[in-house]
Amino acid sequence: METIKYIGERIFIGQLGHFFVMLSFVAALLSFGSFYLACKKSDLFVFARIAFKIHAVAVIGIIAVLFIMLFNHYFEYQYVFQHSNREMDMKYILSCFWEGQEGSFLLWTFWNVVLGLILNKQLKQTEWEAPVLMIFSLVQVFLASMLLGIYIGDYKIGSNPFLLLREHQDFYNIPVLQSPDYVSKLSGRGLNPLLMNYWMTIHPPTLFLGFSSTLVPFAFALAALFNRNYQGWQKTALPWTLFSILVLGVGILMGGAWAYEALSFGGFWAWDPVENSSLVPWLVIVAAGHTMIINKNKGGSLFTTHFLAITSFLLVLYSTFLTRSGVLGNASVHSFTDLGMTGQLVLYVLTFIFLSVALLLSDSLIRVTYVVISILLWFAALLYGYKKLILGVWSVSSLGLIVYAYYKYFPKEKEEEELYSREFWMFLGSIVFLLSALIITYFTSVPVINKLFGLDKAPPKPYVYNEWMLPFTVLIMILVAAAQFLKYKKTDAKTFYKRISKAGALSLVFGLACSIPLYVIGNEENNISVYNLIFYILLFTSALFTVFANFDYWFSVLKGKVGKAGASIAHIGFALIVLGALISTSKKTTLSKNTAAQKVSSLGTEFDDQKSILLTQGDTLPMGPYLVTYKGKRKEGINYYFDVDYFKPGASDKPEYDFTLSPSVQDNPRMGRSPEPDTKHYLNRDIYTHVTYGVMEMDTSKAYLNAYSDAKNFIGHAGDTIIASNALVVIDSIKADKTKAEYYKSDSEIVVTAVLKAITSQSKVYYAYPQYIIKNNVVIPKEDVINPLGLKFVFWKINPQEGTVEITLSEKNSNTKEFIVLEAYMFPYINVLWIGCILMAIGTGIAVRERLRLLKAVNHQTH
Amino acid sequence: MKKLHIVGLLIIAVAIGVIFISLNNTSSYADFSKAANNPEDEFHVVGKLDKTQPQIYEPQINPDEFSFTMTDNNGLAKRVVLHKSKPQDFEKSEQIVLIGKMKSDVFHANDILMKCPSKYNDGKNQLN
Repeated sequence: METIKYIGERIFIGQLGHFFVMLSFVAALLSFGSFYLACKKSDLFVFARIAFKIHAVAVIGIIAVLFIMLFNHYFEYQYVFQHSNREMDMKYILSCFWEGQEGSFLLWTFWNVVLGLILNKQLKQTEWEAPVLMIFSLVQVFLASMLLGIYIGDYKIGSNPFLLLREHQDFYNIPVLQSPDYVSKLSGRGLNPLLMNYWMTIHPPTLFLGFSSTLVPFAFALAALFNRNYQGWQKTALPWTLFSILVLGVGILMGGAWAYEALSFGGFWAWDPVENSSLVPWLVIVAAGHTMIINKNKGGSLFTTHFLAITSFLLVLYSTFLTRSGVLGNASVHSFTDLGMTGQLVLYVLTFIFLSVALLLSDSLIRVTYVVISILLWFAALLYGYKKLILGVWSVSSLGLIVYAYYKYFPKEKEEEELYSREFWMFLGSIVFLLSALIITYFTSVPVINKLFGLDKAPPKPYVYNEWMLPFTVLIMILVAAAQFLKYKKTDAKTFYKRISKAGALSLVFGLACSIPLYVIGNEENNISVYNLIFYILLFTSALFTVFANFDYWFSVLKGKVGKAGASIAHIGFALIVLGALISTSKKTTLSKNTAAQKVSSLGTEFDDQKSILLTQGDTLPMGPYLVTYKGKRKEGINYYFDVDYFKPGASDKPEYDFTLSPSVQDNPRMGRSPEPDTKHYLNRDIYTHVTYGVMEMDTSKAYLNAYSDAKNFIGHAGDTIIASNALVVIDSIKADKTKAEYYKSDSEIVVTAVLKAITSQSKVYYAYPQYIIKNNVVIPKEDVINPLGLKFVFWKINPQEGTVEITLSEKNSNTKEFIVLEAYMFPYINVLWIGCILMAIGTGIAVRERLRLLKAVNHQTH
Repeated sequence: MKKLHIVGLLIIAVAIGVIFISLNNTSSYADFSKAANNPEDEFHVVGKLDKTQPQIYEPQINPDEFSFTMTDNNGLAKRVVLHKSKPQDFEKSEQIVLIGKMKSDVFHANDILMKCPSKYNDGKNQLN
């Protein structure tokens, strides 16, 4: 192939970007190596710190180059081409940056660098600096390699964001790239319009900062194993862990808010694998934070703290694998596509599990044996296959060694924990969190389990998650409410019950008084199962218990001081989130009741026949407490808005205008049509609507008016009448070209013709002859059209037993009136949930500040 | 026996319970013939839309009923009644996953997942 001399390509900047990628990788590697050596030889510290700073500069360099390229529209680069275009508003440039996999890895790397630099400063000259930064650097080595885009043999390592379009395997042979001046002809594909909103500018960076921050307790825990000092790191890591709880929590809730406001999930939480995989690390890091507090105040819980801190980060890695390897396939609506990095992601997850187990084994003989055998197994898997078997053997033996390490290396408490002690209840709470996290992980991993064991299980539906989480949440609520009233070590049972009696009595009275009428009365209509009924009432009451108990503790024990009440406020927030989620989900009511439908609930509880309402333009219909009118649609850009007016029955039954909602459908060139809800917010409820079906075409052009709308089906026999909007169509006769016997004999083809006679209101008569053809046992319907009336018939089915035929009728768009199909729900008290989110964030923030203050005070004393 | 050991045993019991119950209760992927043999059980059936057969949607009569014909991965075509409104972009779907039960030769679906060619796909054929 002759080489083309391309005009106008800006080669240098891409090379600069790739240089930074290489530099960041090499510097991270050097930093890892030198911090490792610095654990023993302190004269390497200076070099190690410089290496980490060079890595930091390189990462910022990559980001800067990518931004310059996006900002100046260098479409000859694949990343810029795929994620931006000229027409796009510049305020979305950040979203372009992290829309792709490479960009989101970069975001993660960036936050790790920021946290690493701060941590390095904080830990300077301590025994923790070298091992913690060593772990940080190692993670950075792996993350930086995700951008390398180099081949070793057939294995591709990472995906380089600085590839030219003509170098990229998906694009290199598109025609426009054959012309030398292609650069001037290009415009980018642009950002996915669904992501063009403010949530996408703030949600990913928050979430990724949350993911990054789980690295800090992980690095400390591994450093502790490395240093054989299990005791000394918790006080330094605690503020970081609380920070992680705060940021990751806010990130997840932002995702929920985005789903509620802008996506048509029909709620704020859908147990989607992508949502779950950010929730699970959060649950575990919360558990870790609490065992750290136990350890700090009373000692003990050493193994659990290490285990949780390590597991949380490993679950972040596992989530990355789940959502980015394409393994979820059909199970998730918004996982990334496979970039061919599945193998690499699996390798990373396994490497860090391996590393954690290896460091856990303090006996050097056992450790070396484990390392050697693991590496041998890995080679065996590469060379001979049996990957699943080897993975199984390795996993089981690693698990066995973890249990062994727990018994052998970790100091045990001499005496048993008291039942009435704060540490026991907090510990129990942490275990419940861990257990819920494991169950959610198990459910989310069904596609992985299918792959591993050759099963064909379907991923569980949201209600399965809800039902499983109910008892755990009740348990958590009771523990959170009561634990603060217990002292560390031992509390007298009588005093304890006396102290919680106030909150307990209040919540029992309020809880039962509210929840029993809410759930039991009128339940014949709602059909809540007994299991759910009991747990709704229990959860309602126990969540109130948490709220009251923490208020009580805040005011009677902490004397209302805000600075010390971080935990109480965060716990109140958490209980309100639970309460808001419970009420708004369990009492979610469908306003758009479909009165016309036949009942399909006989098919099972999963079938719900009251979902949608048809609104014809101009007509007014009752819907829930409202009267609604569909006014019409309008188009703005690629969004189609459907304006629906809501009226309330006013005085003397005259409808009074209340408000207008305009749910929309985005005609997204990349993802197809996606509905966007519109919600009316009240203090105590939300009216949430979205259009599930609507005709999008705005044009009154001939092409549109002459197109046919959806078919209606008619079942009947000769002599029956089909009603069209502009004519009565009589089935005149049904004729076959041969008898059944002849057909079986000749075994070739039978043609059955329906003679249809359409009579208009002006008594004009038209005929149509749709045919039902069986050829070699395959049915091929042949349509027929009455053009002057805009009617199309398909004769598609014969039911010999009933003696009926089925014919569908579609009419030209010009025949019909405009309509939409709408779903409308009422979410009661969903604001309780959002208030809870804000309180939890504030409370955790206060706790971070307080812990930092305490840490400073301690450090001050010791220096 | 320590309290913590009791906690540990409880965890193991719950974990085994979860695995056992979920293996028995969750629906699984199947084809139409398996669904037809077990009319009481819910299945996920994967297949493709049969475009030669009519798609019927009459929102004036019932906005929550849409019927079409799907061919499963074994090539068996069955009539499907989806008890929901007609999904957007239905015609463009490359692959369909139906969730529901088979009753007297008709598959009644309570939910549908569609794979559309461009959904989150940064791939090919989108240059214009």
